[in-house]
Amino acid sequence: MSLDAVRRGIPGATLAVQLGRRARGTYAVDEWGLDPDLVAIADPVLGLRWELAVEGADRLPTVGGAVLVFNRRFGVSEPWVLARGIRRATGRFVRTVGVPDLAPVGPLLRRFGGVLDRPDEIAGLLRAGQLVGLPMSRDVRSRERVGGLDVARLEAAIETDRPVVPVAMVGRELGRSWRIVVGSPVPYDAEGGPLAAAELAEATRSEVQALLDESLPTSWWF
Amino acid sequence: MRVLVTGMGGELGTRVTNLLEADDAVTDILGMDLFPPRRRIFRSEFHRVEPGDRRKAVHLVRDFDPEVVLHVGIFEPHSRTSPTEARLGTAASAVSVLGAAASCPSLQAIVVRSGIEVYGRRRGAPTRPDETIEPAPTSPFGRSLAHVEQVAAEAGQVAGVPVTAVRLGPIVGPSIPSPLGRYLRLPAVAVDPLSELPFSLLHQEDACQAMVAAASVGHDGPLNVVGAGAVTATQAVLMGRRIPVPVMGPGWRLAAAAAELLGAPLPPHSQELLTRGCTADGALARTVLGIEPRTTHEVVAQLYRWDEVDHELGAAAGAHA
Repeated sequence: MSLDAVRRGIPGATLAVQLGRRARGTYAVDEWGLDPDLVAIADPVLGLRWELAVEGADRLPTVGGAVLVFNRRFGVSEPWVLARGIRRATGRFVRTVGVPDLAPVGPLLRRFGGVLDRPDEIAGLLRAGQLVGLPMSRDVRSRERVGGLDVARLEAAIETDRPVVPVAMVGRELGRSWRIVVGSPVPYDAEGGPLAAAELAEATRSEVQALLDESLPTSWWF
Repeated sequence: MRVLVTGMGGELGTRVTNLLEADDAVTDILGMDLFPPRRRIFRSEFHRVEPGDRRKAVHLVRDFDPEVVLHVGIFEPHSRTSPTEARLGTAASAVSVLGAAASCPSLQAIVVRSGIEVYGRRRGAPTRPDETIEPAPTSPFGRSLAHVEQVAAEAGQVAGVPVTAVRLGPIVGPSIPSPLGRYLRLPAVAVDPLSELPFSLLHQEDACQAMVAAASVGHDGPLNVVGAGAVTATQAVLMGRRIPVPVMGPGWRLAAAAAELLGAPLPPHSQELLTRGCTADGALARTVLGIEPRTTHEVVAQLYRWDEVDHELGAAAGAHA
């Protein structure tokens, strides 16, 4: 029996190992600031807040970069829910776009996978084989409509020839239960050109809307 | 191949010279620097030249008529010279050597040492820039490096030869005089845990290998050379079993003053690295140069590991006796 197997059987042993690594500085932080050990330490707390169900996670690539375009209403819970749901379903981290470059909020959010909202930042992440979570604009009036999608932010996917995957986030900001529905990658013209990004943005927005329409329960009262 | 090496007296320049001396394709090596070489050189010719002595530098370069110029002569502030001397020396050396080289008929390639500090770390700047990102330096050292790149590009344009700007990550190692290395080895190190972002490092040996490889490849354009992975300042300090002292905002002035009193002055680009991070995408250099630098974690581990000094001369003398 391996030492890891013994550790898994002892309550708190894994946490003790993680805290030991933090004390010695031997934990990993990637170039964008993601700290997987810190994410693992915080995971039980996040688990108390949200109950997640993920559908269609097998549509995500097991290796290599991809852009996950997701809807949001107020936009507080969605990035956390998406990141945790995908991590638990696939073991991969989601790098959510839109972190402010301002201390201490920015550096803290980067530890949990946040990245700056820049096309070259997104392109760099995709080249490095990361999953990038790209939020659509907020639509606080209705949870049934998805927001807009900035065309420039999808150019990175075309430039690096990585799949764009629509994701519908179904849940309430103050609620506990969330559903994450992952759609099939949206086909696009890999040759690029002035229209390619605009058409891709439009097609992706439609796909997220369609997923949301299928996924929303009919009994919701707003 | 005739190779001109500027900055031959520095740790990097001497090691680059030794690597070139081991290459049979390199027939002649001429070096110049403010300081004499730090290790033994075997078949190279060295000239001590003040950075401001343009006449002597131009004369030496034109007489030698190099085929490749390896401009390693960059002075990092607080490395071995004061910030002002470093800035003036770097600019003067680049203008005289690269300017003279541009008029040499045999010139085939220019390789200049630069650094990822040229990208700058202003708010909203890309975290891990690749070579397509325009330089926008935010520190005096970054501006010095950007100036050297500009001078080299102009020289290359005049001579019609490729110019490789090797943008090295912050170099630390057990023996190189680096302000960052000195600072991180203090017994107690000021860090800003609330705002710090990760930085990547480069081992001195990998920096030298990259420079020599660039001389033979003839790539036209910049190349980022950094160790894979990154660490935060707090993490590096803990790895070295030093005491992290949390500071923020104006506390950095006090921390920098205290570090200077302890013999480890902290230049602006190093302070920027500790608080705003400093990384780059080194994938292109790995492909073009065929190198695989040590990871940042390995570099930090070596920085704190005091390797035993191998006294080769003493051992040889003892054996002879």
